Amino acid sequence: MTTRFDRRSVLKLGGGLLAASALTPITSAFAQTASINYWHTFTSQSEAAGLESVMALFKAAHPDVAVTPENIPNPDFMAKITAAVVGDARPNVTMVSSERFEDLLAMGALIDMTDRIAAWERRGDFDDSRFASISKDGKLYGVPGFTFVDWGYYRKDWFDEAGLAAPTTYDEFRDAAIKLTDPAKGRYGFGLRGGPGGQNFVVNVIEAFGSPVKSADGTIGLDRDIVVKALDWYAGLLVKDKAVPPSAANDGFQQVISGFQTGQTAMIWHHTGSYQDIASKLKPGVEFGTFAMPAGPATRVARLAYAYNCITKEDGADAAWEWIKFWGEPDAAVAFLEKTGYFPASTVAAGDDRIGGNPMYKAASDTLGFGIPQPSFPGAAGWAQSTVLPALQQILIGQATAEQAADQIIEGLAQAIA
Amino acid sequence: MSRGPAITAMPPPRNIWDAVNPMRLLGELSETRYWMYLLLLPSALLITAIVLFPTVYGFQLSFTEMRLNRPAGNGAFVGLKHYERMLGDPIFWLSLRNTAVWVTVSIVIEFLVGLIAALALNRNLPGSKVFAVLILIPYFLPNVVAGNMWALMLDARVGVINDLMVKLGMLTEYKAWFADPTTAMAAAIFIEAWHSFPFFTLLIMAGLKGIPADLYKAADIDGAGAFAQLRLITLPMLRTIIAAAVILRVIGLVNSPDLLLILTQGGPGRSTQVLSLYAFESAYSEFNFGYAGALSTVMFVLLMLFAWAYIRLSKVNQD
Repeated sequence: MTTRFDRRSVLKLGGGLLAASALTPITSAFAQTASINYWHTFTSQSEAAGLESVMALFKAAHPDVAVTPENIPNPDFMAKITAAVVGDARPNVTMVSSERFEDLLAMGALIDMTDRIAAWERRGDFDDSRFASISKDGKLYGVPGFTFVDWGYYRKDWFDEAGLAAPTTYDEFRDAAIKLTDPAKGRYGFGLRGGPGGQNFVVNVIEAFGSPVKSADGTIGLDRDIVVKALDWYAGLLVKDKAVPPSAANDGFQQVISGFQTGQTAMIWHHTGSYQDIASKLKPGVEFGTFAMPAGPATRVARLAYAYNCITKEDGADAAWEWIKFWGEPDAAVAFLEKTGYFPASTVAAGDDRIGGNPMYKAASDTLGFGIPQPSFPGAAGWAQSTVLPALQQILIGQATAEQAADQIIEGLAQAIA
Repeated sequence: MSRGPAITAMPPPRNIWDAVNPMRLLGELSETRYWMYLLLLPSALLITAIVLFPTVYGFQLSFTEMRLNRPAGNGAFVGLKHYERMLGDPIFWLSLRNTAVWVTVSIVIEFLVGLIAALALNRNLPGSKVFAVLILIPYFLPNVVAGNMWALMLDARVGVINDLMVKLGMLTEYKAWFADPTTAMAAAIFIEAWHSFPFFTLLIMAGLKGIPADLYKAADIDGAGAFAQLRLITLPMLRTIIAAAVILRVIGLVNSPDLLLILTQGGPGRSTQVLSLYAFESAYSEFNFGYAGALSTVMFVLLMLFAWAYIRLSKVNQD
């Protein structure tokens, strides 16, 4: 069957199309959406759930901005962002952890956000210290989305059974680790992270023994004797005390967390971001508890690192800014905390009753009082990953002494800051 | 020697427009020896853009200061500075040694297992098609999947391999394979060989199909056994294919750090650090693209030397 159009019907169709085309811009003007993409390094289920919660709240508050999240695995992040910057294929917004700021700024990956932040109505909710790790020469390059508060988890039931209290010093920590170790039961006192990501704890221990990484004048601050003592104590938990699983040299996040969840280890060090993962397998307050990082022989070191949200290109910067500042809303921050355990960066949000009323978060709240940011300088992250971690591993597997490892660490730092 | 029917000469142009007609000019050009160059031009341009330019740029980087987190001195010509540093860099020499072990042992295992599998499958026994599919499956898995799968199976806490070995009495307790320098490289090589031996199987099977059956019949009549036939007929006839497969796999193994990146990240204590991983680390962890370029150039030269020496020693180019 064929359809024939007469002149009248063609005119009607043409008129209809003309009217539709005339109305289209008006209609779309009302529903116009800006699209931005957001690079993040969330990997666990709880983190994904937290991001979903924030996005749902944002969508309700800003239906005009569409956010497309893109997961970049943490180990690949620097490679991907470097390629994106060099190839000019940047995302609109990227998550930047404190230790990566200097490297990214140096390669020109970040946009100056000083004016936007100064004019932001919620700027007063954030303590100035929150911006210390994302500012350079008086300019601000990001807004803290949430906080990594270092703390420890311990098996409360095992500690109660052994008549031990949560450790507050390195000596107490070591004693507890030794007492709770029973290889016959497949049980070890401490889940030492000697694999990927374990480098930052080595730096923390070195500082807790009294040696800063860099001096105030920017020169090398590492004192060889102190570094040797720190490495000897930390690696000694495996090499001498045998209070650490033998797999430590290859244990990354997954292994350390699953070791604690499955009853292999009595204590682990991590940050609040793993709280919900742990709580999904063990009963909070009964089977496990949390403790603030113990004090070292010289000082108490716990990191307060921030995950900053930064604009990486001018295109779509207004929509990007809406997304970034939304993370500072108390409802968004608490929703994220409830799904993940990551602490709010906003001082106002951190004081919310939903946080203060939970005794499991007391250790994190205490840490906010004495926690310090990670050492930050161009090359810091690369030095920690490529020099500090292999040096620790070499002691753990018996290929180097603490003295040899200390020499590698100091020499590597000299090259990194040269 | 005849090259087909004779080409009739183009008639002279009828007028001035005909003389500048592009189609006519193209037709005339097609009958000259320059036509070949014209046909090769698109591929030559493509190769220049996607192969030659990056390679030359990589060489150039190796003589340049290029640290992305130190933009001040970037782009300056530094001569052989990176190569001099390399000579005194213990991590470079360790990585070179580990690369040699990683590549040599992997290739030997992959070739032997691939050859045995190909010979078995070539016998066309019942069920060989099913086995052929099963054998090829590992090769179709991306490195990232194969790496994570084996990392979980060999896990020191929940790994099924450890569980089986303890139950069979081969181990007294779970073993942390990747935390021990003596077993980390061995475990990584095992996984690499498991993943890539089908490549040899595939190519050798294709080569076996091309060997005339008459040769084996004649050898049978002469009383040659199975091993003699393998040594005197099969392997010599497969020489070209084996050479190509070995060179391709060596290039793949030297250049791809992804499996080791997933399994060990070069650890523990650099015991599985190979050159490609070191170059990757220099570029994307330390942002020192100049040094990474020098490491890559050395890898390139070593691969070229290997390919040249291997082809000469295996006498493939004399076939």
